[in-house]
Order: sequence, then C-alpha cells, then structure tokens
Amino acid sequence: MSVRVNPMFIDDLDSFGAEDVQLCYQCGDCSTVCPHADEVYKFPRKSMRLLQMGLEQKLETTLEPWLCYYCGQCSEQCPREADPGETMMSLRRWLISRYDFTGIARKFFKSRITEIIAIITVAVLTGTFLLFYGFSGGSIRIYDGEGAFLPSTFIHRFDLTVGAILALFLVINAIHMWYLVMIKGTPFKVPWWLYLKELYQLPWHFFTQKRYSECERKREHKFYMPWMIHLGLMLGYVIMLVLVMVFIELLQSGPKVLWQVHIFGYLATIGLVVGTIYFIRSRFKKHYIQYKKSHGTDWVFVVLLFIIVITGIAQHIFHRTGLLEVANITYVVHLMSVVPWLLRMPFSKWAHLVYRPLAMYLAAIRRDALTMQVSVLNSYPVVVK
Amino acid sequence: MRTGVFFCQTGDNMNLNIDAIAKYAANLPEVETVQILRLKPLPDLRFLSDQITKYNLGRVVIAGDIPGYYKPVFTRAMATAGGNTDEIRLASFQEHGARGENAMDRAKAIVACATMGVPFALAAIPGGNPVNHATLIIGGGIAGIQSALEIANAGKQVFLIEQTGTIGGHMAMFDKTFPTLDCAACILTPKMVSVGQHEMIRLLTRSKVVAVTGKPGSYRVKIRQSARYVDIKSCVACNQCAEVCPVKVKSEFDAGISLRKAIYIPFPQAVPNAYLVDEKSCTYILSDGKKCGACVKKCPKECINLNETDHTIDIEVGNIILATGYELMDVSKIEQYKYGVFPNVLTSIEFERLTNASGTTGGRIVTKTKRYNKKTEKDEWIFSPEGIPPRSVALIHCVGSRNKKYNPYCSRVCCMYSLKFAHLIKEKVPNVNVYEFYIDMRAFGKGYEEFAERIKQEGTFIVRGHSASVDIINGEMVVRGEDIFNDKLVEFKVDMVVLAVGLIPTPGTEELSRMLGIQRDTDGWFSELDYNGSPTDTDKGGIYVAGMCQAPKDIPDTVAQASAVAAGVLGSLTSGKGIGHMSSLTLSEIEARAKTIYSI
Repeated sequence: MSVRVNPMFIDDLDSFGAEDVQLCYQCGDCSTVCPHADEVYKFPRKSMRLLQMGLEQKLETTLEPWLCYYCGQCSEQCPREADPGETMMSLRRWLISRYDFTGIARKFFKSRITEIIAIITVAVLTGTFLLFYGFSGGSIRIYDGEGAFLPSTFIHRFDLTVGAILALFLVINAIHMWYLVMIKGTPFKVPWWLYLKELYQLPWHFFTQKRYSECERKREHKFYMPWMIHLGLMLGYVIMLVLVMVFIELLQSGPKVLWQVHIFGYLATIGLVVGTIYFIRSRFKKHYIQYKKSHGTDWVFVVLLFIIVITGIAQHIFHRTGLLEVANITYVVHLMSVVPWLLRMPFSKWAHLVYRPLAMYLAAIRRDALTMQVSVLNSYPVVVK
Repeated sequence: MRTGVFFCQTGDNMNLNIDAIAKYAANLPEVETVQILRLKPLPDLRFLSDQITKYNLGRVVIAGDIPGYYKPVFTRAMATAGGNTDEIRLASFQEHGARGENAMDRAKAIVACATMGVPFALAAIPGGNPVNHATLIIGGGIAGIQSALEIANAGKQVFLIEQTGTIGGHMAMFDKTFPTLDCAACILTPKMVSVGQHEMIRLLTRSKVVAVTGKPGSYRVKIRQSARYVDIKSCVACNQCAEVCPVKVKSEFDAGISLRKAIYIPFPQAVPNAYLVDEKSCTYILSDGKKCGACVKKCPKECINLNETDHTIDIEVGNIILATGYELMDVSKIEQYKYGVFPNVLTSIEFERLTNASGTTGGRIVTKTKRYNKKTEKDEWIFSPEGIPPRSVALIHCVGSRNKKYNPYCSRVCCMYSLKFAHLIKEKVPNVNVYEFYIDMRAFGKGYEEFAERIKQEGTFIVRGHSASVDIINGEMVVRGEDIFNDKLVEFKVDMVVLAVGLIPTPGTEELSRMLGIQRDTDGWFSELDYNGSPTDTDKGGIYVAGMCQAPKDIPDTVAQASAVAAGVLGSLTSGKGIGHMSSLTLSEIEARAKTIYSI
C-alpha cells in the first residue's frame, strides 16, 4: 500500500507544539527508557521517525500517542534535546484535531485568538439567553421552585440539551477514530469477538488510569503525584457531570443541604479544586519536564476550569447563606463558563477523556489480532524455494 | 567599479557590531550602496536585482559570517540584472577569523579587501621577525614524537616537554590499531627510542610550561621540571627499588585497573628508561624524610635522591608546537550506565589496558573478581589473570559524545575502536556474544568501512540503536536498547559493558591557551587559523597545533598533522622570511597592502 508523504507535515506540527523533532537522530534512547513501550507498540522514536518523514496518513492510524502519559523520562534522557515527550503530546493534540470531523479543533489549536473569541461568543450567547429567560418568567430574588430566576427543571432540560450536543460530537469523533485505527490502519482481519473479549478495558482504564500510575517514579520532589491528582480531577469531573445531568433538581433545591446528594458534590469539588491548583502551579513552577512547555490551549483549559470551580462554589455558598440575588447572578456566570467549556470539550485536549480509554481498548484488540496473525503465519511456513 | 555591500549577518557573533562595519563600508571608495538585509525570509531575488539595476552596480559584496550561503540568490539577481556574475565577492567574517578582541578591525579589513576585489589572504600577511632555530614541542604523545623526529631529522634543535614520567602518551597504552590491527607498541616504541637517543632532541619529562614571553620568532619559555628523585643517567631499571617499596597506588598507565608502587616505571619500554618517584604517595616525601626511605638503601647504583627539588629551565625558541592531546570525560556523571556502581562496566581505555598483552591480566579478557582487602577491610573488585572470561559483552557507542548535555561533537575514534574491541573479544574469548550498540557507524577512513563489514561477518551482533540503560536484574547485568533495523526492543544479559567514552581536551589546555594567547573553540579544543586552508597554524605567529588537542582525530590523522606541522616549522626556519602574529595585523596595514595590490 502506498503512502503519500506530506513534506510540510513537520512544519504543521510546529503549531501543535512539536518544535524540535528535526533534531532527533534516531538513537532509540527514548524507546528504551519508556515504561510503556513494548514489542508491539514501540514509541516515541518510531512516532518521531514517522513525523520526520512526513507520513501523515500513517500517523493518523497509530495509537502510540495515546499510550504515552508523558512522564518525561524520554525528554530527560534525549541526547539531542529533541523532546520526544512533547512530540507525543503534540501528536495527541494533532490526533484530536484529526478525529474531529468539523475542523474546529484544528482552528482552536492553531490560533489562540479564534479559540478565545469562540469561547467569549458562546459565553455571551449563553448569558444573554439565561438572563432573558430569567427576567421573562421569574424573579431574581427566588433561587429555586415556583417563580425562580433559573428553575431547576429548566436547567435540567438545558443541561441535557448541551450534553446531547456534546455526546453527539464525541460519538461521531470516536467512530471516526475507530475507523481510522481499525479499518484504515489495520491491514489484517480483526475477529468481532475480540471486541467483546477486551471490552472490560474501557471502564478499567477510564476509572483507574492504571497505566498512568506506572509512569510515576521516584522523584526528588516529594509532591510528585500527577497520577493521583489527575485521577482525582477526572473522577471529580465525572461525578459532577453525572450530578448535573441527572440530579440537578436535588442539587439546586435548598437551602437545606441534602447530604446523600451533596456529599458527592463536595468530594468532586475537592478533586477539582486540588487538581486545578496543582496543575496551574506545576505549569508556573515547571518542576518537571512535562510542564516546561505549555501550549496555549493548556492554559485556556486550566484557567476556564478554575473559573467554573470558583463560581460553582460561590453560588453554592451564596444560596445557603440566603444571598439569593448574588447566588442567581453567580449561577449565570457559572453557566456562562460551563457551556463553552462543555461545548469545547470535543475540540480540545479534554476529549482525551474519551479517546484514551478507547485507545487502550483498541490497542488491546489490535495486539490480540496481531498475535493471532503471527501464530497463523508461523503455523504455515512460507516456502520460497 | 560601482560596488554594493550587502550584510547578511545571522547575529550569532557577539563581537561584531554590524552597524559600525556598515558605516565604515559606506566610506570606502567606489561603494555606492550599503544595505543590511533582513534574512527571514531569505533575501528576495527581485528586490536584489532591482537594487543592482537601481545603483547600476558592477560588483556586489556579500558580508557576513557565512556569506557563501546567500551567494546563489545574489548570483541569480546579478544575472537577472544583466551584470557580471564573477563580480560577486564574499566577505566572510568566520573564515578569515573575525573573532576575539580585534574582531571589528578584522571584519572591516575583510570588507575592505572584498570591495577592492583583493583576496584577503593576499593582503593579510604577517611577518618580519627573525626566527630562532630551536623549537619547543609541548606534549610527548604520538603527535609530539612525530613532529620532534621530523624536525630533529632535518637538523634543527627540538625541546620536547612531557608532563608525565615517560613519552608515548595514549598510544603506548593501546593494544592494536584499527583498521589494520597492527600492534600499537611496535609502531610507537621505535619512534620513542629514537626520540630518547636523538642528539638534536632535548627531552624534558615531568615538565610544564609556566610562562611564555617574547614575540613570534623568539619566544622565551620558562619550564618547571618536577623532581624525578631518580638520576636518569645512572638508573638501569633493575626494579629492586620497586620490590622494597611498601606503597601501592593505582597505576595511571594501566588506567587504574592495576596497582603500582610509589617508585615505579610507567611501563617497561618507557623513555627515558628510568624509575621515578610519585611524590603524592611516597611515604618518605610525605613525612618529610622521617619514615621509610627503603628504596634509597636498596638501590645498587645509588641513583635515588629523595631530597631532590624542582627546578626551572629557561629556553628561547622560535616556534612552539602544541600537542597536548586529550583525556576521557568523567563517565560516572552519566548515571544511566552505572559506571563506578557495577564493577564490570568499563571505560574504553580500561578495556584497552585489559586486553593489552602487557596489561595486568597478560592480555586475557576476564571479568573482575571479588577480593577481600585486609587493609581497608572491604571487598574489592579487581582484575586477576585467573578471572572468569565473559560470556557476553556489550559495547555502547557515543557515551557522552554527540550528546547536547555533555559533548555535542563526535569523538571520531569511538566507532572504530569499539569495532576493534569486538574483534579482539571474538578472537580471544571462545563462544562469546558481542553486542555493539551504535547510532551511526562512522567508518570514514581508508579501509575502515571494510573493517566494519569484516567485524559484522565475524558474528558480532550489531544493534542499530543506542542503549540507554544498564541494570542488574536477578544478579545479572542487563543492557536494554532498541534494535531499529529489526524493529525490536532488545534486552541482553551481559557480563561486561564497555563504554565508548567521549573525549575532552586535557585540563591544562585552558591554562596553556591563556598563557600563549591561543583561542579555543566552544568545546575547549585549540582553534586552528582556518579549518580548511591552514589547519595546523594558530592566529599567533610561530605557534602550531598538532594531534588531538586541535580536535578529536585518529592516529593516522594525528601523525599526518604532526608531519604537516613539522613542514610548517621547517619552512619558517629555512625561508628566512620570518613570522608574525596574524592577530597583530592592523586594519591600516591590511588596507594599505590591499590598495597596493589593487593598484597593480
């Protein structure tokens, strides 16, 4: 099968963050130190090579970028300072833009201004819509129930609409990913039952992020725990998403605290606050090599998340302390940041929430299929002469 | 001729103020326009041809550190504008040495020569000083020996000074040379002997240059000679003193893998063939004559004098040759290879001494054995002739070389000597597996590629991929790497690891360069005047570089360069023209000469 070479590909990847790929001289140190590289999936050197050669069509079908969790050992070891870790990160950004059929992700990654304008536009539209709705039917002095400014039943419907849009994009992109990897990128047949056999991988990797924990190694710094923090952040996020999508009516009622619901909210908030502060701090302090270079989208991501968390906590406190007008206003601001954040998800780094477990799942299937393929080949020796 | 000067400077050279040079260029005769070009994007063809037409330029000068890079676009612009493309002149700051203190004056001179169309090398000729016929050679390795013999054989006086107790340098430590697998000592020792016996060579071992004054053609050099404590003339190297000496320290000549006494001879073929005392370990000297002194009593020739003192020698020479050589970088700072942690991880020079027939194991390749040291009450790992031969050996290339964290440059000899090691191991140890981990095989010389092919056919496993880790798993050393050609991650159990360690200049290089006013490049090696045109000269008149101290090179290249230096020295002695500093040439001198040449 012929593959088309894109000589401009390496320049294109520049704007995704892979600036030093040209320096690589293929010594393989990075693959040697990587805790995740194995016989089937050898990276980062191979990915760097494909990138240097401009094999765009081959790279878009690979799973290797998703198998890397960026512990930074390769970049520390690299004799050429070609930064393989950052290259894998950039390839993940590029793959997100590649899976995205709308082309929005690509625009966001390439141009900071476009992204910020889009976020502000969506935020302003959301704000206008919510204020219009609030003032047309309710009173700003009532937080929930009859005649409320933003009644929870309305918010529930609103949430579900936004969630549906989000899910639609994600599902289409995930199918696109599956097509690229398993149909376009796998030259041999994959039996259907392997999909069932390896299905457990999806929830396993989604909830434990086991592979990330393997990256953690002894560092001189005692607060080195990105895996735990990341897991906390992710679980917090997922719990919050479930609460908001399903239990918003219970969540918004009050001022009494419903412990059986709110306890989850508090735990999730702790995860989100600790995680956000840790990652913002790391990106400022640059203790570890993986935080040395921050792409613009990384900053938008953590800053927006920080605003959401702060306003969320604020409106909760205002509601419980009886400052209902302030609580309502904060609620509007909160939603103004939540909606663009959610809608941005399929087009940003946050989409790895879906792609990573999916990649582990597909990688396991592919590995099984390959092993079967090899055993079939071995059982029928090819006699040339 | 109407001339336009275009500056294409990339901005790395901090010594140059381009605006000032441009102002100077604007005042030169016949210069119509001076422009400092933006280089990103590259100069535009149409813009340049417009400029040439606009000012009706007959000659274009491109000035910058690497003007040749921009020449094609200027040539095309000239052709488009209908001018004579032969009149594109390059004013190359880098090539003609516009760096250091007088970089500005030199750059101006380069531009002036280019605008007049006079080759810089024709206009800038230093000279005038009469030359003293003696030559000083600093460093007694193969480069110094070769230069000394060439010059002395021509009948000129040579002072050869060497820091250690014997000449020979690193080459004396080697077992075989690549690619011919000749015995290194068989080539070197006859040369060493003739240096020792030559009537025109005055050999000063254990000596150091402490001060240099004077001008090209007559340098006054102050040399400090440390006490040897043994009279060279009467010592017959009978070894009786070493037998009674109670002190044992690591042997420098054996790269630390064996022990020697405090009174010792570096190796049996040493020149001068006499013992010497290491003042850093001798009990008598350390205790100010209160203890020991056994060797003095034992010596049948009564040639040991432990109260000898250092003395200085003043000499006057016309030319100085630098041949100070190299040393291995400290590999223990590259932690991933565990040198100094695991006993059987060796540097290349240690392995060289291990495999050498005159080495501690008599040339048997063995792994280290554990031995209990009664004095320190600790277990030690030492080489003994009864050791177990390794079943598998890993050779790792590019350790510290071509690595931005340590040495960015290629050390040039490691690929070939690692291949040589592979051959020696295969030859000496039966049923051994040898794994070579390399990044790029630099087999650049005559017969080298064939040698590499031969080693591959001998059954060495050549792994294209650099190993990044040496670990111990279940008591066995494991080397991990990526085999890129076979697309595999490999893991080999090995008994011995030999690291092809990168080379660095000797520690004295910096002091010497300061004393002599010689520039060094960013990696610390001595700078030659021009890499292509005069690779043996420096910008100081009458000071030359030979061998590794200029840049890493192998033995054939070193010998060739040493002979070339001798030719330069002898040329200056016989021509009678005299020599001067390139760096002392002033702007007005060069300008004046260029004008004279131009008017002819």
